[in-house]
Parts: sequence; structure tokens; C-alpha cells
Amino acid sequence: MSENRQRRARLRYVLLAALSPLALLFLWVAATRHGWVRPVILPPPDAVVMSFVDMVVSGYSGIPLYVHVAASLMRVGVAFFVGALLGIFVGMLRGRVAEVDAIFVVPAEMIRPIPPLGLIPLFILWFGIGELSKILLILTSVFLITMVNAQAGARACPADPLRAALSLGADRFQVFRYVVLPAALPQIMTGLRVALGTALSILVASELLGGDRGLGFIVLDASNFFRTTYVFSGVIIIGIVGLASDRGLAWLSRRWVHWEGRR
Amino acid sequence: MTSAPEVVLQFDRVSLDYGGQRVLSELSFSIKRGEIVAVLGPSGCGKTTMLNIVAGFLQPSAGIALISGREIAGPGPDRGVVFQSYALFDWMTVRENIAFHLRCAGRPRREQLEVADRMAALVGLTGTEDRYPYQLSGGMRQRCGLARVLAANPRVMLMDEPFAAVDVQTRETLQEEILRIQAQTGCTIVFVTHSIDEAVFLGDRIFLMLKGGLGAFEEFAVNLPQPRDGSDNRLHPEFLAVRERIYRAMRQPAGSAA
Ligand SMILES: Nc1ncnc2c1ncn2[C@@H]1O[C@H](COP(=O)(O)OP(=O)(O)O)[C@@H](O)[C@H]1O
Ligand SMILES: [Mg+2]
Repeated sequence: MSENRQRRARLRYVLLAALSPLALLFLWVAATRHGWVRPVILPPPDAVVMSFVDMVVSGYSGIPLYVHVAASLMRVGVAFFVGALLGIFVGMLRGRVAEVDAIFVVPAEMIRPIPPLGLIPLFILWFGIGELSKILLILTSVFLITMVNAQAGARACPADPLRAALSLGADRFQVFRYVVLPAALPQIMTGLRVALGTALSILVASELLGGDRGLGFIVLDASNFFRTTYVFSGVIIIGIVGLASDRGLAWLSRRWVHWEGRR
Repeated sequence: MTSAPEVVLQFDRVSLDYGGQRVLSELSFSIKRGEIVAVLGPSGCGKTTMLNIVAGFLQPSAGIALISGREIAGPGPDRGVVFQSYALFDWMTVRENIAFHLRCAGRPRREQLEVADRMAALVGLTGTEDRYPYQLSGGMRQRCGLARVLAANPRVMLMDEPFAAVDVQTRETLQEEILRIQAQTGCTIVFVTHSIDEAVFLGDRIFLMLKGGLGAFEEFAVNLPQPRDGSDNRLHPEFLAVRERIYRAMRQPAGSAA
């Protein structure tokens, strides 16, 4: 009986999740069909699809679409992976070791409120306009977000399991590895999801830093020339990458922190 | 040395302050090897604090706490702690929880598995080794906490109201299991409880702690027939007599018994 109800709730979820984008699409069609908005502001969906097909077939500004996608994924991927590793490492240490927290508290909390766009001129000055600048810009944001979440998670580690581990003979490293890290994992995973979204949004900004390829480049270049359909195609591809990677992380999170909320 | 059983735990005028407030005041006692001491007392009188000092989680503000004649410097696997909150590792299976000490000690995987399964069997958890703590009932969780401590083969077991959240029948089974395990391993047990019956059934001696002036706790000896783990003991005249004495002592205004 309750299993039946669970299945129905699940079905309702999938149905609503599928219907809401369809409703948006419907609104979009309606708005463009009836001329509520000018096409240069909001092009009709079929024109966007055409621009997408055009990019798939003949690329954008002389470069195949997959090269643009790969360039962006590489930047986000490297920056996310390295930034997250560093952020989790530093954040967990900050959460458990007062001295480490003391070292990081002033610089980290001063950099954190600076919008990434504000860092662009400095990064150009320091690292040029190549790949390094782009990756470091994304990496910085990922690092700061994952650090805050890992720190909060490590600090929230309950006292009794910590004491249990110590009294069962765990050394400092083992306490970290077997107790603090898993206890912080729910918040770390949340941090990763937030950081991934932010990384993709900063991607566009980072591709302001010169260069001739990337999804952000397409969006910026197309908008400079009022090719709104290409802007939309680029934005939608970024959105789909974001949706897919977030679902992936959410799935990993459910597998890795299976105990959360079930205590 | 003499043939008298060695003193395993000793408190010598141990005091503990929490931010200027004295929680334990000049507490002194000694506990011999193989003894079971049950600690009774009202909430907030410092029972957990006392156990935490023995476990090495807290340092005395004054006085000295010794294990086998050496000052307690910190937590260690020679003192196993069974927590009221279970304190299981939610991210590990029952087997991994039980094997935790061996894993930390770098024992071979085969030995970890073998000991974990043996300890699971000892506390009646056979068949649940691959489950996670959230898939267990309260009584099973506490059995897991107990097995995790037993796998470290501690000299002293510290138990803080371990069966408070367990139903009566499971509790009585677990109490009998504690006595059986103690007879088998010869370990020393300090057992904190709210239940007079539990204290009398388990304890060789009972410390009745009082709120505030904790230097003066009352002590009761229990002389029940051996082996102690027969449930008949719950109806033995000695059981009833000690229970009555403690009951009366708890009703008396503090200090008048001294
Ligand atoms: N971490 C703490 N900080 C301040 N006071 C505490 C702390 N832990 C316990 N206490 C106080 O110490 C007293 C004894 O606590 P506790 O040992 O937990 O009592 P019991 O286990 O007998 O119920 C209580 O008054 C409690 O409020
Ligand atoms: Mg307590």
C-alpha cells in the first residue's frame, strides 16, 4: 500500500519535472508566435533550433561546435576538480585545526566577497589572457565555495563518534579519514553542487578574457553581433551541461551519503 | 605484590570545573580488576563527567586519575566506551563498525572480518553484519556499540546509560549478556545507570552519587550468588534488600546519611 503511494509520488515528481519545461516552451512559442516580443529580443524556438543545427553542421566562427564544447568543458573540468580538491582539503583543516583557520581567515574572507568579474583585470595583468587566467578565475570561485562548505561540515562533526574513534585507537589522520570526512560529506556534496553551478556561470565571464573558442565565447561573440538565436543556442547548451552535471552530482551524493536524514 | 586483585582505576581527590562551576569535587575511589561498579545518581550530578575523565576525554581540574597506577593521559583502546548515544559510524556497516579498532591498528583484513563476525555473534547480531546503523533498531545499535568495544578487548569498559533507550525485555537480555561477557573476559566495568534494578543486578558495588557535594558518594556492596547472570537473581532476597537500602538512601535528604 505505502509502496504504491511511493510509486505514485515518484510518478508525480517525474511528471511535474517534465511538464514544467514543456510549459515554458509553450509560453515561449506563444510569445513569439503572437508577436508579443520582437524576435531580436526573444527569437522563436524554431529559429533557435535552426541556429543550433547550423552550428552542429558548420561550427561557429570557423571552429566546429564540439571544439567549443570541449574547450569549455576542459576549463570547467580542470578548474572544478583542482579547486574542489584544494577547497575541501583546506576547509576541513580549517574546521578542525584552529591554527589553520587562523592562517586562512583574513585572506579567504576578504577575497570571498569580491565578485569574479572584479578579478578579471587583475588576472589578465598577472596571468595574461590565455588558458591559465580562465582556469584560475573559475578555480578561485570553486575553491572558496567548497572551502566554506567543507569547513562547516567538518565543524559540525558530532562529538561522540569523534570520541569513540579516539578511544578505539584511531590516530589523528585516521580520525580525519574515517570520521571527520564522512561526517562532513553531506555538506561537501552540497558545496560541490553550488560550486559547479557557479563554475559554469563564471565560464562565460572567463571567456571574456580573449580567445576564440568556448561556449561562453559563442554567447559573448553572438551577442556582440545581435545574433540572438546563437546566443540562445549557446545558453541552452550551457544550461544542459549544468543540468546533466548537477543531476550526476546529486546521484553521486545520494549514493555516497546514503545515511543522511535516516538516523 | 600481594595476591589481592590489582587496582585498575583510582581517583584521588579528583575535581572538575566547567567554566568556574564545580561539577566533581574531590572524588576518590578505587576499582579492582574484574569488578563491576554501577554508578547511580540524579541527572546532572556528574556521572558522565566522571566517565569522561576515565575515558581520557576530560582532564581533572585538580587531583589525579590513574589507570593501573599511571596517570590517565588521553583516550585509548584499553578503555572501551559504550555511549548512551550509540556513537556508531553511520557511514560504516555493522561489520566495519565492529572492526574499527583492528582497522586502525593495521590488522590484516582477514583478521578484521573474523573478529567482527565473532563479536557480532557474541552480542547476537549475526545476519546483520552488512547493514548500516540506520537500518537497526535501538537495541541492535547498542549491541553493535558493545561489539565494537569488545573487539578492542579493553581492560576497562565504560558504559553510560547504554540501555536507557531500549525496551525492558531487550534490556534484561543485554544485562545478562554483559555479565556473561564479563565472566568470559574478566574485564572491569563501570556502568552508569538511572535504574536501581539495573545497578543491583549488574554491580558488585554501587556508587550512589549525590547532586553537588560529590566527594561524598554512598557505596553499597551487592552479594548475589555466582554466577551472576542467572535471571533468578532478580528475585533473590539480597537483590530485594539492596534495592530497598538504595531506595531509602535516595529518598533521604543529601548529607544526612554520612
Ligand atoms: N560541556 C559542558 N559545559 C558546561 N557544563 C557542563 C558540560 N557538560 C556537563 N555540564 C554540567 O555538568 C554537570 C554534570 O553533567 P553530567 O556529567 O553530564 O551529569 P550526568 O551524566 O550525571 O547526568 C551538569 O550540571 C551539566 O550541566
Ligand atoms: Mg549523563
